[in-house]
Amino acid sequence: MTNSTILVLIALMAMFAFAFMRQKSVAVVGGATEALHSLPRYHGYFAALLVLLPGLLVLVLWLATGKMIVENLIVSGLPDELAAVYADRIDLLINRIRLVAENGTGVESDESILAAAARFNQLYARGIIATLVFSFAVGAIGFVHASSKVEPDFRARNSFERILNGVLATSSFLAIAITLGIVASLIFESIRFFQQVPIEDFLFGLKWSPQTALRADQVAAEGSFGAVPLFAGTFLISLLAMLVAGPVGLFAAIYLTQYASQRTRNIAKPVLEILAGVPTVVYGFFAALTVAPLFRSTGAWLGLDVASESALAAGLVMGIMIIPFVSSLSDDAITAVPESLKRGSLALGATTAETITKVLLPAALPGIASAFLLAISRAVGETMIVVMAAGMRPNLTANPLEAVTTVTVQIVALLTGDQEFDSAKTLSAFALGLALFVLTLVLNVFALSMVRKYREAYD
Amino acid sequence: MLDMAEEKDLQSTVKPKVTLRDVHVHYGDVHAVNGIDLDLYSDKVTALIGPSGCGKSTLLRCLNRMNDTIPDCRVDGEILLDGKNIYDAKIDVVQLRARVGMVFQKPNPFPKSIYDNVAYGPRIHGIAADRTSLDEIVESSLEKAGLWQEVKDRLDDSGIALSGGQQQRLCIARAIAVSPEVILMDEPCSALDPIATAKVEALIDELSGRYAIVIVTHSMQQAARVSQKTVFFHLGEMIEQGDTTQIFTAPREERTRDYITGRFG
Repeated sequence: MTNSTILVLIALMAMFAFAFMRQKSVAVVGGATEALHSLPRYHGYFAALLVLLPGLLVLVLWLATGKMIVENLIVSGLPDELAAVYADRIDLLINRIRLVAENGTGVESDESILAAAARFNQLYARGIIATLVFSFAVGAIGFVHASSKVEPDFRARNSFERILNGVLATSSFLAIAITLGIVASLIFESIRFFQQVPIEDFLFGLKWSPQTALRADQVAAEGSFGAVPLFAGTFLISLLAMLVAGPVGLFAAIYLTQYASQRTRNIAKPVLEILAGVPTVVYGFFAALTVAPLFRSTGAWLGLDVASESALAAGLVMGIMIIPFVSSLSDDAITAVPESLKRGSLALGATTAETITKVLLPAALPGIASAFLLAISRAVGETMIVVMAAGMRPNLTANPLEAVTTVTVQIVALLTGDQEFDSAKTLSAFALGLALFVLTLVLNVFALSMVRKYREAYD
Repeated sequence: MLDMAEEKDLQSTVKPKVTLRDVHVHYGDVHAVNGIDLDLYSDKVTALIGPSGCGKSTLLRCLNRMNDTIPDCRVDGEILLDGKNIYDAKIDVVQLRARVGMVFQKPNPFPKSIYDNVAYGPRIHGIAADRTSLDEIVESSLEKAGLWQEVKDRLDDSGIALSGGQQQRLCIARAIAVSPEVILMDEPCSALDPIATAKVEALIDELSGRYAIVIVTHSMQQAARVSQKTVFFHLGEMIEQGDTTQIFTAPREERTRDYITGRFG
């Protein structure tokens, strides 16, 4: 007996409820279905939902809390001497018990742990059966309730729609709740960070050197968490990316919407979309292994000192990555301008170029501007390319030929490998993440509100 | 007073502004317009009538080569503007469209200010030498379109904020601003209410004589009210043309009579 068995059994019961109630509704009116307010199948759907939803709710509650409940029962039943040893770190004890419970008795020799593990398995199996019984019970209540409702006047269709409405609304609330949860965790961890490092040092400090001393007298005991070089690096690379993606994306969109023949369009648009589908890690090694060395040797030939992990290489490749983003959003914005405006301009003797610059682009400007802002927020948050192609050393410079590092690169560096989750070094990743989140959020909100505010009302 | 001889002389010297000779239009394999011969005069409003899909709008779009923008559209035959074939390779479409203006079925003002809407054509063609003369062109165009009194205090408002009828008169002002010689109107009142329609019709009347006006319309009454010449199309062919009074009172063709009296179409 496992949890998935319960799921299957509840589903079977719901199917039975569907078939039974559909039949019953037909039987109630003696086969004259036109006397029913709702079609027989709606009576079936309604009953199936009444069985399925409460049963699933019980199962989900069990899955979410079951192991915790069983663990608490075990801990309270442990011999006192064992509990005393682990007084502070009861979670370690639970881990030992769980290890036995899940992997078999070979890994443990302590008698009381083995006994506790056996008891864990026993209690957990009982819990599953209890869940099964309980979910069947609520399912049965739903079944009986649905059965009592089957009569010609019962508005099964409306009730079914109402329940379905509730399910859909719950899904969207769930998505929002999860988002809020992520933001909340960012905020809480950041607050812990700012208790150790003053917020003004973080926001305005010019030196990023994230380490915390183990001993007061060690080398480089002083860590500093000034995020300015990181944001400057992010800004530099994003700017380079937009210098590539902005014009190329916009011009591509103009060409594809205004000049290209239908055949060219049919080929070029899917190809651009393929470009959008290339995994960013592929762009990353393209940047690191092809573009960066190329720039370096070109620079050497010109007598310039180009770092092997230059901001230029990372920015250029990131720009290539967001071209399809800019072009497809700009394409939508331009296509949304009514054809009649274009014809009106052409009929006045304007050339295609005049029509584009004087009528189409001004009319599509809010959409294009928001496409750019969304592309920037994409560039700011992009990680893989910069991890592979940009440097690791914080560097406050405006020279694109030097190596810079970005916020996302530092977050990756801070959280890779074994971490202590209460040191300022690790917590600084959350502060960086929060700052990045606020930045992109502001950009996105600004972009969307701009579209909404300046969108011309065409009928 | 003119005597008979003089009047006859005058008529024979009035040259047609636009002459169509054996014009055919194909959309791919579809033969939309079939061998049209027609003369359009500077001092007359010509109405093109006929049931939907008879090719009248297609023919209208040939006159300023707006059909060029439609792929697969082929125009054969001769269309002469002041004796020159507008489909000649030497003709500049941009200049042609400055001479032959167009007003569309649905009002399509640009999402710009009223002033910029009217100034759009003069600006791209470099007609106005300075701001003062541009102001004059805008004012006189709005004046001619009968819109000046309504909008003179809010020239900076968006053209889209105007009512449907005002928008259509703005589009007419926009077309007039480049001083065209011919104005094409493709069902200019079909999206307007009766009052706005009456205003646009009065405007067409006002403008007739100064421009060669060609209007496509589905409304018999409108054709009878605004035009001096009427052409009836059916299935891509020209069935009958003549003075509007003659077409509406004594049509020579039975199909014309049936259409006008509402027996088909």
